[in-house]
Amino acid sequence: MTQQPQQHAFNPYTENGGTILAIAGADFTVIAGDTRQSEGYSIQTRYAPKVFKLTDKAVLAVNGFAADGNMFVKKVKQRLEWYRHAHAKDMPIRSIARLIQTMLYARRFFPYYVYNILGGIEEDGTGAVYSFDPVGSYEREACRAAGAAQALVQPFLDNQIYFKNQTPAPGTVFPQHLPLSTVLEIVIDSFTGATERHIEVGDGLEMYVVLSKNSNALQGLRADAHSFQEVTSTADGERVFVIRRDLKKD
Amino acid sequence: MNSLVQRFSTSSSTPLAALHKAAKVVTEEDDDFSDAAWGSEAGFGNIAKGVPSFAVPAVADPTAFLRLHTDDHADPSCRIKIQHGTTTLAFRFKGGVIVAVDSRATAGSYIASGTVKKVIEINPYLLGTMAGGAADCQYWETYLGMHCRLHELRNKERISVSAASKFLSNLVYSYKGMGLSMGTMICGWDKTGPSIFYVDSDGTRLKGDLFSVGSGSTFAYGVLDQGYHWDLTDEEAQELGRRSIYAAGHRDAFSGNTVNLYHVKEHGWEFIGNYDVNKLHYDGPGNVAGSPGHGYGYDIRVEGLSSANPPVAAAA
Amino acid sequence: METSFAITGKGYVIVAADTTAARSIVKMKIDEDKIKVLGPHLLMAYSGEPGDTVQFAEYVERNIRLYQIRNTYSLRPSAAASWVRRSLAESLRSRHPYSVNLLLGGYDTSSHDPHLYWIDYLGTISEVPFAAHGYGSYFALSLLDRYHNPEASLEEGLETLKRCIDEVSKRLVVSPGKYKVKVVDKDGVREVEI
Repeated sequence: MTQQPQQHAFNPYTENGGTILAIAGADFTVIAGDTRQSEGYSIQTRYAPKVFKLTDKAVLAVNGFAADGNMFVKKVKQRLEWYRHAHAKDMPIRSIARLIQTMLYARRFFPYYVYNILGGIEEDGTGAVYSFDPVGSYEREACRAAGAAQALVQPFLDNQIYFKNQTPAPGTVFPQHLPLSTVLEIVIDSFTGATERHIEVGDGLEMYVVLSKNSNALQGLRADAHSFQEVTSTADGERVFVIRRDLKKD
Repeated sequence: MNSLVQRFSTSSSTPLAALHKAAKVVTEEDDDFSDAAWGSEAGFGNIAKGVPSFAVPAVADPTAFLRLHTDDHADPSCRIKIQHGTTTLAFRFKGGVIVAVDSRATAGSYIASGTVKKVIEINPYLLGTMAGGAADCQYWETYLGMHCRLHELRNKERISVSAASKFLSNLVYSYKGMGLSMGTMICGWDKTGPSIFYVDSDGTRLKGDLFSVGSGSTFAYGVLDQGYHWDLTDEEAQELGRRSIYAAGHRDAFSGNTVNLYHVKEHGWEFIGNYDVNKLHYDGPGNVAGSPGHGYGYDIRVEGLSSANPPVAAAA
Repeated sequence: METSFAITGKGYVIVAADTTAARSIVKMKIDEDKIKVLGPHLLMAYSGEPGDTVQFAEYVERNIRLYQIRNTYSLRPSAAASWVRRSLAESLRSRHPYSVNLLLGGYDTSSHDPHLYWIDYLGTISEVPFAAHGYGSYFALSLLDRYHNPEASLEEGLETLKRCIDEVSKRLVVSPGKYKVKVVDKDGVREVEI
């Protein structure tokens, strides 16, 4: 038999499951992700964070291929640090969004297999969510879900955040912006729901809350309702909190 | 050999060589502006080459690699989905240029977004449309915008639509075969008046009066061609653009959600409005110029009409 | 590419089909009639796999005729459409299925209304106010959504058909040259010039 030349397929990608989402409020943004990391039917770890604080006004959630995701976050953080050294301030979120576009597009011919959602506070103090495709096309939105349970969570968000397919009761109007307490409930329900119906979602939930300067979004939240942990690192005025919760582990 | 021919020829033997050449073409043209334009490099410009330089996988055929892993609209099983499916249109008439697009982005059969901005505002008098790879269009048309500004600064004069589209065309042509996917219309108003150029990633560049691009383009053409003539009023032209995108949204599964309508006039473009396709179907565009006063939907339009033709005696 | 259209109007159905018979890249014939007259008030435009088309159309033609001879009256359009659809569905599940797409237009002399059925080779049927098969449908359907009028006179109906034909001629790369157009109404079946 004649020897055929063996071509080995170069496949540097895998899919590590999990889901991320972000919702923008009037003066806050919630960015969340589950912590399960899996490959096929095996769970690699029950705690692998997918949501990362970049600055006190920007938090990045990454989903898809974990190795690419971690590498990408590392490189974004590095670029933001250079910026800090040069300009003695944090990069504004809309600039971070554009930076992420160029960084993703630089790999147009060898893409990062990563879906990014950037959430935080705009320079005008409003909550912002930017979502990206793997090669860098992006758009500012009010909410976005990505990852394994995207198709489960996004319709729920459309209904609860954009009030899609709902009609307001006679004489009432839908609120323009939901309060933080409602948004957190929606995020928790999204993830418990996704955990029930998707095998790649579960174990833990990390929700980052970014508050605008002088935001009073925290008022009216029951102190014992969530275990807020403040992770703010500058005195700029924006504040960042993380809330961790358990999700089902089966 | 003619250096221009050399720079833009496609006869290089490997895709990798083609890419290096493409990167060179682009960097050469960028030699006189700072990397800072691409987001601050914070004094590390030598590390972060902002001007297009692309990473490629270390394999014999990077193009085949890319094709294997990204969605070349044929294979839905691949991992990296590039958004596809669109209807965009633009036409010239006595009152300027009408640009209308839908807002749906699909990844396979999943509607990834219903709020995509497929009209890219290159600058106050140039618009680009987006069909094919969303990132390709967004990135390169933004890049085009920078070069249009540089042209202004260097020549104290706005760039012509022709020159801008030629720049984009040459640029994407230098990446031919590398997997870029874009079908765009560069629309604007310059010394010569209103004009439209169709530019795609094959390297085609066409000047014309009327174009439609994307999976729903045939449906848009069906309405557009029949209603089009040069002497349309502004209101009629806007209505025609809106109605044509509605038609595509209605008939093409990969198009829909909302219509974005722009009108380019002598002093630059103007955003006319955003219209929900479902609302257009049932209620029409509302109280706007050129509105038919009822829903665009067939069933709504013909409600109460009947093809039955009973003889007068039988009817009684 | 083969293209066919059909449009209902006030008391009539117009059926139009291109007249080219192509094999590979060659036009073998440019005046082929691809619309069968199945009865006094019934028309059928057929397109699809060469060979299958005429075989199936003649099979239908003869069976509809047989019914008329046996019963002295012919099938109403809805009944004929059901029978044709079932024939295709059974064929699909046989060793050698017919690949034929149809537009069935008829005038029901009992209820005084026109009927149009869109039928594909898989046995999918749909009663519609207007229909098209082939690449022409990608241009014509949106156009008909916009311009079709269920109460149009025959002249207006033919005007709309002309729009479809013109649009396809303008935009389709391999557009057919000529079309044959037939009308069915209370007075029966006839061919019209456009």
